[in-house]
Amino acid sequence: MPITRRGALLTAAASLTVASLAVTRRARAAETIRIGVVSPLTGPAAQVGAIQLNSCRLAAEEINAAGGVLGKPVELVVEDDQTTNPGVVLAFSRLAADPSMVGFIGSIRSTQVNAMAPDVAKVGKPMMFGGTDPTLTHSGYRWLFRCRPNDSFSGRVIADFGVNTLGKKSWAVVHSTDAFGTGGKNAVTDALTKLGATIALEQGYANQQADFTPVVLAIKQSGAEAMCSYFTFEPDLAVFARQLRQLGVRIPWVGSQSIASPVTMGLAKNALYGTYGVADFLTDANPEAIAFTAAYRQQHKENPDSGWTYDALHILARAINAAGTTEPEKIRTAILAIKGYKGAEGTYNFDENGDGLHGYDVEQNTNGKSVFMKRIEFPA
Amino acid sequence: MQLLFTGFGIGAIYALVALGFVLLIRAAAVVNFGQGEFAMLGAYLMVIGFNVLALPYWLSIILSVLLMAAFGVVFAATTYWPLRHRGGLPVIISTIGASIFLENLVLVLYGPEAAQIDGLFDAPGIQVGPVFMDSQYLSIIVVAALLVALQYAVFEKTLLGKKLQATSQDKEMASLLGIPVATMILITFAYSSALGGIAGILVAPILFVSTGMAGLIALKAFAANIIGGYGSIPGAILGGLSLGIVETLGAAYISVPYKDAFAFLMLLIFLLVRPQGLFGERIAEKA
Amino acid sequence: MAARYRWRGVPAALVAALLAVGLAMLVPAQGYILNIAMQAATYAIAVVGLVVVLGYCGQISIAQAAFFGLGAYGVALGTVDYGLNFFTALAIAVAIAGVLGLILGLGSLRLGGHYLAMVTISFQQILTVVLTNWIGFTHGPDGVRGIPRPTLFGLSFEGGHAYLALCLVAMVAATLGVWRLKSSRLGRAMQAVRDNELAAGTSGIDVFATKVGSFGLSAVFGSLGGGLFSGGFHYISPDQFSFAESIVMLTMALLGGVQNPFGALIGTGLLVILPEWLRFLRQVYLAVYGAAVILIMVFLPDGLWGFVAERLRRRVRAPAQDVAPLPLLAQRGEPGADAVLQVQGLAKHFGGLKALDGVDLAVRRGTVHALIGPNGSGKSTFINVITGLYRPTAGRIGFAGRDITALPPHRRNRAGLARTYQNIRIFRGMSVLENVMVGAERAGNDVANDPAAAVERALAALDFVGLGDEAARLVGTLSYGHQRYVEIARALAGSPEMLLLDEPAAGLNMTEKQELGGLLRRLKGHGLTILIIDHDMALVEQVADHITVLNFGRRIADGAPQVVLQHPDVIAAYLGEPQRHEAA
Repeated sequence: MPITRRGALLTAAASLTVASLAVTRRARAAETIRIGVVSPLTGPAAQVGAIQLNSCRLAAEEINAAGGVLGKPVELVVEDDQTTNPGVVLAFSRLAADPSMVGFIGSIRSTQVNAMAPDVAKVGKPMMFGGTDPTLTHSGYRWLFRCRPNDSFSGRVIADFGVNTLGKKSWAVVHSTDAFGTGGKNAVTDALTKLGATIALEQGYANQQADFTPVVLAIKQSGAEAMCSYFTFEPDLAVFARQLRQLGVRIPWVGSQSIASPVTMGLAKNALYGTYGVADFLTDANPEAIAFTAAYRQQHKENPDSGWTYDALHILARAINAAGTTEPEKIRTAILAIKGYKGAEGTYNFDENGDGLHGYDVEQNTNGKSVFMKRIEFPA
Repeated sequence: MQLLFTGFGIGAIYALVALGFVLLIRAAAVVNFGQGEFAMLGAYLMVIGFNVLALPYWLSIILSVLLMAAFGVVFAATTYWPLRHRGGLPVIISTIGASIFLENLVLVLYGPEAAQIDGLFDAPGIQVGPVFMDSQYLSIIVVAALLVALQYAVFEKTLLGKKLQATSQDKEMASLLGIPVATMILITFAYSSALGGIAGILVAPILFVSTGMAGLIALKAFAANIIGGYGSIPGAILGGLSLGIVETLGAAYISVPYKDAFAFLMLLIFLLVRPQGLFGERIAEKA
Repeated sequence: MAARYRWRGVPAALVAALLAVGLAMLVPAQGYILNIAMQAATYAIAVVGLVVVLGYCGQISIAQAAFFGLGAYGVALGTVDYGLNFFTALAIAVAIAGVLGLILGLGSLRLGGHYLAMVTISFQQILTVVLTNWIGFTHGPDGVRGIPRPTLFGLSFEGGHAYLALCLVAMVAATLGVWRLKSSRLGRAMQAVRDNELAAGTSGIDVFATKVGSFGLSAVFGSLGGGLFSGGFHYISPDQFSFAESIVMLTMALLGGVQNPFGALIGTGLLVILPEWLRFLRQVYLAVYGAAVILIMVFLPDGLWGFVAERLRRRVRAPAQDVAPLPLLAQRGEPGADAVLQVQGLAKHFGGLKALDGVDLAVRRGTVHALIGPNGSGKSTFINVITGLYRPTAGRIGFAGRDITALPPHRRNRAGLARTYQNIRIFRGMSVLENVMVGAERAGNDVANDPAAAVERALAALDFVGLGDEAARLVGTLSYGHQRYVEIARALAGSPEMLLLDEPAAGLNMTEKQELGGLLRRLKGHGLTILIIDHDMALVEQVADHITVLNFGRRIADGAPQVVLQHPDVIAAYLGEPQRHEAA
């Protein structure tokens, strides 16, 4: 049966196409300190990704201008994660395949960090990340280090501010049904209940909606005195805000990070005036943030909405310098030893889980400008 | 009541996009998975014209629509024409390729920032009793109605419309009668693309302009198209409106997170109970 | 002979599997290349499933990622939440997906083309929404992590090499299985359905069951790939199984060539690797990818495999062997007294139009019975009602001692009723031999379950119509007249009780008509019962034992040819028609 044999050969040929990728890449001579960055260049988070990448590049320029790491310049190797989980797994494994990589800057999306976590554990090199799902640093992953405060703090800050400062007792909670939104919702309802407030409404929505009328009507009917929200994507929040105002809902509103992002404020305009937001990063919250913002503005003519990649690279560089080597285990110890480092996102005090920050800023949208109100910190 | 109005407004968006689908299905038997990207492209042209080049509002609209019509011809020439004799599926795949291409091309050229364009009217809307009517939804409903009327007039009352109809019904017969079938198909593509552009420009003030703005809308518009009756113009309108209303009511009274499932559940029920849709063609094969 | 068929390709499969294992060892045990290889292997299994439903059976499915996801979630939830063994969980997942596939296939009962595509899209979307929102069961958008890899007979698949080898072996098995399927009875039935549903039905294929089966099979492959995928990556989340992924899988299948599982492998490999290769283009690469899809569709219509196969195609020799003659040829024709076909009061109304209005007819065994009448007299309607394509408004059809009035077309064929079509309906994507084998394999035929005997029977039928040497050709390359013979051979290979010929002389030239006459006389000589409809009086007079004349849906004459053709009503019907036309 000649056809059979030919078929088998072709199967083999097809398998070979896959295997032909297995060209061993020779490790480059370590002339630079190579840091792998996974970032969404495409997909729904592309917008956020661009700012993150710019901030990270800014940090690299600063580090290199100050003499680099271990006397060598830092080199960023960037891979697109397409804002998807398979994308991030492949992007990371592509970076990790290069043995000269010293450390990684991971994703701001918890679900992506989740997806990468087993591979990061296998590679055994530090990854600085920005996802705010609390469990990420509590699941025994030794190589994950968070450069933003986690959602258990954002929930506590929203509740603390809402109950103690605003004095509101009955709350509506609106959240995306994705990982970020659900995690945030759990944290804030917990914290609100502990402070003696009641939850009048818990309302989830699916990302990327054209219309939020049903959600707005549910808030109206719930009779809540105040509202807090966990939105993942800025355009969703802007659409929601406008419909909320159109249908006459004007109760105090404390939002999660996305409410204070320049993108959201640019899209929603006056629909967000007067709202409060918690923010891990505000351009005017501390001297470091002000300096970072000024440098960023100079390069890109706009304000950054986050400083975590900027801080992450600085911390990583600092830790490598402190360790005096690129050996992963030593870098890890050096990161965990960082206390009182003042970054753009706040003061870093790493705990044994790998959480660097333990509080949030609260801001108010004052006629389209995000104005810093107070920082609420919790002990590590 | 508020829900009904919003549902109606959303439905009008679906209907508008569905109209573009229907025309291509009728004229060229093409299911165009790039229809959503037509809308996106139209909105971006508007952003460039009005926000970036600071042209007058109406001039930017007219230019955008004209450019979209021209683009429709290019689209037809590249993704449809070479594959026209090879059945439905290759063309479908090719339009999918085109939609990936367009989405990412815009992402590269314009960047990922979502943009905003102003609505037709400055006023946010009007309050009628308990119902707030968003001015942009109102304009969508009005424009959709106008376009349907215009389309009806063109198709039924003019020679061009008659030729287009003849082409969609029987290409061989039409070419025997001396109708330039190729030109007619190109005209349809141009019109459908312009229609998509108009839909994009109208939707933009509500949804903002981003590369992913129209993907799900296009899919639901296609569903609306089948609910209304495959290839039927009144069907597309009615299908779109009913889909919008069902979806909004379902979200309000059953579950918000499952909202996207309602549209498709409705479609499945329709396909099983009344596959020919509201105004359907008969599905039968002759022996 | 039968044994040879059964074991055909098994050594090759073993060699391929060993090669796959060997290749798995070449890949680094972890990291990027392993991930890519694992993704390609598991996707390939799902895409091979698409070849079954789309390539073989011609049904559009845009839900393969949903089945992939069902498999992945079945394994993930089964092992992580319910503590099941990996393979138990996989088996359960595959079973569930298979059943859902069958249910989705039920949608094809009344729907085809775009409608079916939309049903599958809806299924896909609903599954995504459920996976995301049913947090208590699916873990919601967070996804499931910590999915273990299996151990089998003390052999651990935990390591990257071992697991990749497992995936590759499954891929090879799936590919070869689907490749074998193509030349199996079921595979031929699927292709027949794809090429011509009506003819497939009247050739004894249960069209609906075949479609449903192809959906089920495709779902099984999809979920198998997904199950292996989830073990491979230890982590899954709903966005990995979205509509966009279904589109990617569809593109993989079409890119590689949907007619062949090897094409699916090529397409999958390329589309998994291509975006990775194009990564150096940074932001532009998805745009380039989209453009590449269009270019491939335009320039490689049959996919990459089709392109390669076209270059490699060798002239396949017709299997030269002495074949036993058709069983038909063993009999000597003697007209019998009993009626094979007994039609009473048959009526078919289309709205107000009475296409058939109470027709009686009896075809005696071993005779050639001709049904004639002017255009629009109801002849074609009659044959379509008899073969089950139309449901009669009233009346009863008895065939070979059974009442077949309510049976679907394929059941009538299985009872021994075979037909040809006025507008030839053959299976254009298949070879001459395969076309005729479909006939030989009708359920109930003596060779239906023996592939070797079916080949022999098909060749015998082709020999009988004089096309024995053309067996290996693609049927579409034959002349019109020869295509008609293929149709007749297809009917004869099924050893029918009665053969219905719907205007067999239509479109033939004079020489071909004479050949046809000869063929019919030979068939008659061997005692085959034939009902023939034709305009060609010369042909009818040559062969007919009995003539029935229809006009305006009614029988106006019935009897021996000499008598009927002299009948005044018949003469009036034929000669008078133009006059009536003028008057009208």
